[in-house]
Amino acid sequence: MLLSAEGLARRFGYRSIFKNIGFSLNSGDALVLVGPNGAGKTTLLRVLAGLLRPSAGEVKRNVSVGLVSHNSMLYDALTAEENMRFAARLHGTVSNGRIETLLDRLGMLRWRDERVGTFSRGMTQRLAIARALLGSPKVLLLDEPLSGLDDPGTEVVREVIVEHMAGDGGLIVVTHQFERLSAVATHVGYLVGGGLQGPSTMDGLSADSVMQRYRSLLADG
Amino acid sequence: MASFMRVVTAIVAKDLLVEWRTKTAIVASLVFAILVLAILYFARDPTEVSSFAVAPGALWVTFTFAAMVGMNRAFFLERENRALDGMLLTDISRSAIFVGKMTANLLFVFMVELITIPLFVLFFNVSVLARLPALLLVVAMATLAFVAVGTLLSSMVVRTRFAELMLPVLLLPFLIPPIVGAVQITARLLHDRPLTEMMGWLKLLGSFDIAFVTLAILLYEVTLDE
Repeated sequence: MLLSAEGLARRFGYRSIFKNIGFSLNSGDALVLVGPNGAGKTTLLRVLAGLLRPSAGEVKRNVSVGLVSHNSMLYDALTAEENMRFAARLHGTVSNGRIETLLDRLGMLRWRDERVGTFSRGMTQRLAIARALLGSPKVLLLDEPLSGLDDPGTEVVREVIVEHMAGDGGLIVVTHQFERLSAVATHVGYLVGGGLQGPSTMDGLSADSVMQRYRSLLADG
Repeated sequence: MASFMRVVTAIVAKDLLVEWRTKTAIVASLVFAILVLAILYFARDPTEVSSFAVAPGALWVTFTFAAMVGMNRAFFLERENRALDGMLLTDISRSAIFVGKMTANLLFVFMVELITIPLFVLFFNVSVLARLPALLLVVAMATLAFVAVGTLLSSMVVRTRFAELMLPVLLLPFLIPPIVGAVQITARLLHDRPLTEMMGWLKLLGSFDIAFVTLAILLYEVTLDE
């Protein structure tokens, strides 16, 4: 098991974001979480990444995680390569070759000397994904990873996800665009009403049936 | 220890590179320093008040406020795009992050101070050349104390609204003891008083350095909790 959550809850002041969330993630699992705005998807990822303490429950993990969130975690005044080198120095064991490989894999090599502040949303997103992969994390936590990406960019990110899964990694993705990630999902969960429905396996489920279930859960309130 | 130093040097190099590229804080701090020196110079009636009487206070008021302008940006840089999260995800020591940010601030403030000292000499017509090593020692000791607290408070207020206003309000009360010590020593230096006269104040400054740096490093992790 790569990661597990038990009885997880998070509040901000008196406002409960979610409660009693439990699941486990094994090698090769790709859990896609769908939920409406404000359901706590981003907060859940931040708790799983260890950036926020849960108000109750606990997260157990013995492996490193990489996170791609709405915020790129990059410095606008630095170039793509400088951002990667800084992150590599923090990790301590990353070679120059790996930086180059990741920039190339995400299609960012030709912009390596350009400052991040000049990048489009899609380019920044690609670089943020490269940065998240730098420490070779076993678990990838992705928050709307395809936002701002064009079709070729979407395809590259899908391929990167598949490669990560092939290396016995685990994946948790939160998204509104389930259809675009259904091909890589092995499990799906619905974050609605402050709780998690599922996760259930994708065996025999189509993207349409997942979205149908999601809409009915939303309608039930 | 090697990994601690690796993280510290990486953060210092990154912060200085960003400042070199943007030059926002250094320009703001220096403009502020020149303005303060000019105002204090013209506020004095030279027929009634000697420049030696106001120079030590003027120097430290200038240093303090110019440094505060720069320190405000220390964690704003990390708030932009939530870059601090990127550091926290890498299992590195939280203390190393703090020491890195503090060292970068220290170098930045020293740079502002080193540029300000000749301007101070020019405005107030005081000779510091003979006592320059001693003056630089005092500057280094007092700066370390207020940069340690300033960096800690900057990390706390960065998530609040009106952070630019909050930092001076919270920081100034902590600065009173080291700044009083620094002003007292500077006054004696400018009057060519013997070093023995200043030993008490120097020990006090040293104590503040040890206390402020230790407490700031210990408390930094608490400021990371949301």
